[in-house]
Amino acid sequence: MNNANNNDAHERARRLIVLAAPETLSAADRFSDRLSDGSSSNAWLAAHLETCASCRAFAENAGEAIRRLRAIPVAAGRSLVSTTQSRVRRRALELQRQRERMWLVAVSCTAVTLCALLSTVALWLGCEWLGTRAQLASSVWQLGFLVFCVVPALVAAIALLAKDSHKHLADHSGSYQG
Amino acid sequence: MNSMNATAFYFESSMAQESTEIARGLRRRDPDLLDRLIEQYQHRLLRYLVHLTGRRELAEDLFQETWIRVLERGHQFNDKYAFSTWLFAVARNLAIDHMRRKQPASLDGLMNNKDKEGAAPFDPPETGRASAFDLTLQREQNEYIAAGMQHLAAEYREALVLRFQEGMSLEEIASVAHVPLGTVKSRIYRGLSALGPWLKGTPL
Repeated sequence: MNNANNNDAHERARRLIVLAAPETLSAADRFSDRLSDGSSSNAWLAAHLETCASCRAFAENAGEAIRRLRAIPVAAGRSLVSTTQSRVRRRALELQRQRERMWLVAVSCTAVTLCALLSTVALWLGCEWLGTRAQLASSVWQLGFLVFCVVPALVAAIALLAKDSHKHLADHSGSYQG
Repeated sequence: MNSMNATAFYFESSMAQESTEIARGLRRRDPDLLDRLIEQYQHRLLRYLVHLTGRRELAEDLFQETWIRVLERGHQFNDKYAFSTWLFAVARNLAIDHMRRKQPASLDGLMNNKDKEGAAPFDPPETGRASAFDLTLQREQNEYIAAGMQHLAAEYREALVLRFQEGMSLEEIASVAHVPLGTVKSRIYRGLSALGPWLKGTPL
C-alpha cells in the first residue's frame, strides 16, 4: 500500500516536472530552486524533490534533454526561402487573374440575363400586338413566339455541333494520314 | 504586480493587433505581407516540419506547400488566435495528407524512412568560438538527441517540438494537434521520458 503511494507520488512529481514551464525546466540552475511561484502543487513538488533523489535526477535530466533538443540546429536555407517567396507571388498573381476573370464572367452573365429578360418581355408584347393586328388565334402567335425564342438557340447548337464534328473528322483523317 | 499586469496586457493587445493585421493582409492576399511572414517563420516552420516528418527533403516540400496553402486559405485565419498556431495547424494537416497518401496505414511509417541521399535531416551545428573538442562533443550530443527524436512516434516528436522548441502553451499545442489537453500532457510526458536513453549516460 505504502509502495503504491510512493509510486503515485513519483509519478505525480514527474508529471509536474515535465509539464512545468519550459524555461523553468531548462534553466541551468537547480530545478527545485526555481519552483518559487507559491502554488500548492509547486510547493508539494519542491518538498518532494528535497527528499527524493531519483525525481531530482529526473528533473535535471529532463532539463538537459530540453537544452539539447533546443541545440539541434535546423535552419531554412536562403534558396528555400526565396523559392517559396517567388512561388507564392506567382500563385498570388494566378489567383488574382482568376478572380478578375471570374468577375468578368459574373458581370457578363448578369448582363446577358438582364438582356434576355427584357428582350423576352419585348418579344412577347410584340408577338401579342402582331397577333391582335392580324386577328390570329392566341395559340398561333404564342407558337410563333416560342419558335422565335427557340430557333436561334437551336441554330447555334447545330452550328456548334457541326463545327465540332467537322474538327473531329479532320483530326481523325489527319491521324490516319499520319 | 501592477506593472507586470500592464506589461502582460501590453503584450496581449499588441499580439491581438498583429493577428488582426495579418488576417487583414491574408484576406487581401498581400504578397508583401506573405514575404515578411515567410522570412519571420522560416526556421520555426521548417524545424517543426523536419521533426514531424523526419526527412529534410520532404519537410522543404511541405514548407513551400504550406505557404501556398496559407495564401489560398488565408481568409480562414481567425485573428482571435496566434498566427503561428494556425500556421502550424496548416502545416500539420498538409503533412498528414501527404503521409496518408504515401502510407495510409500509419503516420509512424515515416519514422523509419532514411533520407534517400543519405543526408542527415538536421543541419550541422553553427561553428562559434568554442574549441574543437567542445564542438565535437556538442555535435555528438546533438546527434544523440536527434537520433532519439527519430525513434519517437510522430505525435510525441510533435508535442516535444511545439512545447520545448517553439515554446507553445499546452492549450496552443492542443489547438494545433486537434487533441484534448490531457492527451497533450501525456504525449509530452511520454515523449520526454522516451528520450531518456538517448541522453548519453543519463537515462531519465
